[in-house]
Amino acid sequence: MIKSILSVYGLRYPATIVYMLQSVEYQVEPYLKWYWRTADFGKVAKRRKLERTRAAKMLLLAVTAGMLIEVMLGAFLLVLGLTGRLTGGIWFGLALLLAYPVLWAHLAVLPLVLGRYFIVKPFFGLHIQRSKSTFAKHKGVKIAVAGSFGKTSMKEMLLTVLTEGKKVAATPANRNVSISHAQFARSLKGDEDILIIEYGEGAPGDVARFSRTTMPQIGIITGLAPAHLDKYKTLTRAGQDIFSLADYLGDKNIYVNGENEALKPFIKKSHVLYGLHGVDGWSVHNVKVGIHGLSFSLKKGEETLNLKSKLLGRHQVGPLSLVASLASKLGLKPEQIEKGIAKIMPYEHRMQPRHLSGAWIIDDTYNGNIEGMRAGLALLKELPAKRKIYVTPGLVDQGSESAAIHRQLGGYIADVNPDIVVLMQHSVTTDIISGLEEGGYKGQLVIEQDPLNFYNNLEHFIAAGDAVLMQNDWPDQYN
Amino acid sequence: MKTVAVIFGGRSTEHDISIVTALASVIKPLELTKQFHVEPVYIAKDGSWYWDQKLKDIKLYQSGEIEDFMRKAPKVHLLFDEGLTLVKSSQFAGRKMYKKIDVVFPAMHGTHGEDGELMGVLEMANVPFVGCGLAASAIAMDKVLSKQVTKAEGILSTPWTWFYSSELSHSPQKILDYVKDLNYPLFVKPAHLGSSIGITRVEEPKMLMNALEVAAHYDDKVIVEQGVQNLIEVTLPIMGNESPQPALLEQPLTKPEDYFDFDTKYMQGGKKGKTGPKQGAQGYSQIPADLSKELYKKAEELGTSVYKALGCEGIARVDMLIDSKTKEVYFNEVNPLPGGLYAHNWRVAGVSSVDLVTKLVDLAFERHAGKQEFTTAFSTSYLKQF
Repeated sequence: MIKSILSVYGLRYPATIVYMLQSVEYQVEPYLKWYWRTADFGKVAKRRKLERTRAAKMLLLAVTAGMLIEVMLGAFLLVLGLTGRLTGGIWFGLALLLAYPVLWAHLAVLPLVLGRYFIVKPFFGLHIQRSKSTFAKHKGVKIAVAGSFGKTSMKEMLLTVLTEGKKVAATPANRNVSISHAQFARSLKGDEDILIIEYGEGAPGDVARFSRTTMPQIGIITGLAPAHLDKYKTLTRAGQDIFSLADYLGDKNIYVNGENEALKPFIKKSHVLYGLHGVDGWSVHNVKVGIHGLSFSLKKGEETLNLKSKLLGRHQVGPLSLVASLASKLGLKPEQIEKGIAKIMPYEHRMQPRHLSGAWIIDDTYNGNIEGMRAGLALLKELPAKRKIYVTPGLVDQGSESAAIHRQLGGYIADVNPDIVVLMQHSVTTDIISGLEEGGYKGQLVIEQDPLNFYNNLEHFIAAGDAVLMQNDWPDQYN
Repeated sequence: MKTVAVIFGGRSTEHDISIVTALASVIKPLELTKQFHVEPVYIAKDGSWYWDQKLKDIKLYQSGEIEDFMRKAPKVHLLFDEGLTLVKSSQFAGRKMYKKIDVVFPAMHGTHGEDGELMGVLEMANVPFVGCGLAASAIAMDKVLSKQVTKAEGILSTPWTWFYSSELSHSPQKILDYVKDLNYPLFVKPAHLGSSIGITRVEEPKMLMNALEVAAHYDDKVIVEQGVQNLIEVTLPIMGNESPQPALLEQPLTKPEDYFDFDTKYMQGGKKGKTGPKQGAQGYSQIPADLSKELYKKAEELGTSVYKALGCEGIARVDMLIDSKTKEVYFNEVNPLPGGLYAHNWRVAGVSSVDLVTKLVDLAFERHAGKQEFTTAFSTSYLKQF
């Protein structure tokens, strides 16, 4: 207890609060919530360390300097009070000396708030306005990709395949908000055949606004799952926001993930569904799934595409079919499509296979939604292995549905029946265990208190022939 | 939670290898199981025993701080009180610290540890312990005795002879006469040492005396073995008590002339002449060995027969030599506590490090429980006669 209180006076404390700000991407509200939830500031940074970026260094310098000035001022007042030269100097001095950690933890956000309202917002507004004109004038086919999950992967797949026959540009990484779109617009040369723009929903109205700015001709909706429920409140509102892309397109040229149950209430007849069956007249045949990837054929009339991908899991059949279908529609030759599909590599930490000590580790630690978890578990069920091991801390950011979602996850795990289930101890662990029990899981359950210790010693737990699925990670700010 | 004492170090040329086996291959996975509380017990090169949680840190040995630790730390006493209890001074008010041990995991290599001496102490204490017992350890660690026992069981070895080291200085000609019936190349080995220490491959008679002197320098018994033509060297880790289970036959990938000496095994990542890899011999071998199905089965059966013939329990590793032309498999030697438990091989065989140490501890309890069923004492009126 005393150690926890004293942790705010430690030498590492300024770096800790800057780390906390950096971890929440300098958002004030989550930072303050995290700050007031934290009991011991000596144990905040478990997963990562402060990345000394320019912004972080400047903030750290300002906070440290502010604290030092306050400490010196406090000491000065204390001396004046003790020598009788200032009435109340002792109390003012002590107050400043004791309060500096809390005071500067809050003052640190002041430049962020002021900067956001007086510099960033007007500056960004100007850029976004200019980008609208760039997108309007651009002659290329614009494809928008929206959804709670799978949109970055979909964008990357499209980019990899379409590049085989077209000049294509896409929004980089997972930068998917208005200012990212504006920066993307500035980077365009104007001669691109196709633009792929990812929409990252965060709050009601986002997707509609992105649509009005970027003016797509084709829309893809990859999935709906509980995410950002702090802003949307309900899954329905999140779904309505995502489907404002369909509204913008008049419900035409809209491709929707037909495998995602949560999307079904929003689907209209004019929407084209993609999934295990195929898409847009293309039918799927002869699916083979393994640790090295999957293969299947797509047939439409006389035309056949034989597709082989290094992506893992049957759930990738739908998105790959859509990419192949769109590529065909946009004029790519069959061999170009097949070559492009073969070039798609598993994305880092997303169903990424690794061979370790003769065992296969499927790194799915960037998977943060229940649908993705289910897809990964389906792969684990399908893979041949001597032993199957499943590792997860659960999901963060699930709002009021968290308990129900984690019981559901427990049920999905029980259905796969891995030999060993390793749960990283967190607030949701008991809910996952309830789901496992309800699902009649009889295997070995391990509750791990120290996730890093487990990850670092993984090689001691595995042997040749094992298949290990590791899903999601639990960032420090959710501890 | 069971308390496991892991004993390592010792008065042996393989002292440092024992530290690595204990820390990396025994203590780490035991702690990861979360089923055991581990008490590290370190035996220094002078034979003193120490017990402290600090002894689990490899840096203590790498930095040389172990010397300072030993100067300050109290030595350990053993109490045989319905099992084994570790005792040491708390260094305050004359108080002593006691720790009752549920099971001992010896992680000793070579003399005064792997050769049955430690197992004798543990059997006296009637505490469960991992690995071969006193008799099997003593026989296995004596290359002469193990050849004699396996020969009695009809297990094939290459032609060999042996002598006491003292005989070499008294009557060297007699030794040379022993050897003259063997065909070159020969292997001259100290009878009790592991990790290839003191071993020489002798190509021609003029090199022989020097090789004999080197081996005699290390041990009181020396064995001279005839080399195998068209050699394939294989080793087989085995685990179990009455029903031994083999792991996979492993084939060190060295040329016959580059036999595994200490340097090759532990300092060069298993590859002679290379300085890059940091891992041990395990880094340069083929698992499973590249043999025909029949030859593989023959070697596996011979290895298991040797394990049983010597009365091995818990874990051991049997080394064999194969003539690839004649398809003959020869017993070479047994290692009753393989370095690093040969965890790399078990992992390929489908047994993780965590499962390996857990199974070995289970086997220790199983054997101990079995022994408790025997009657070891009974009442007589013999003393009343006096």
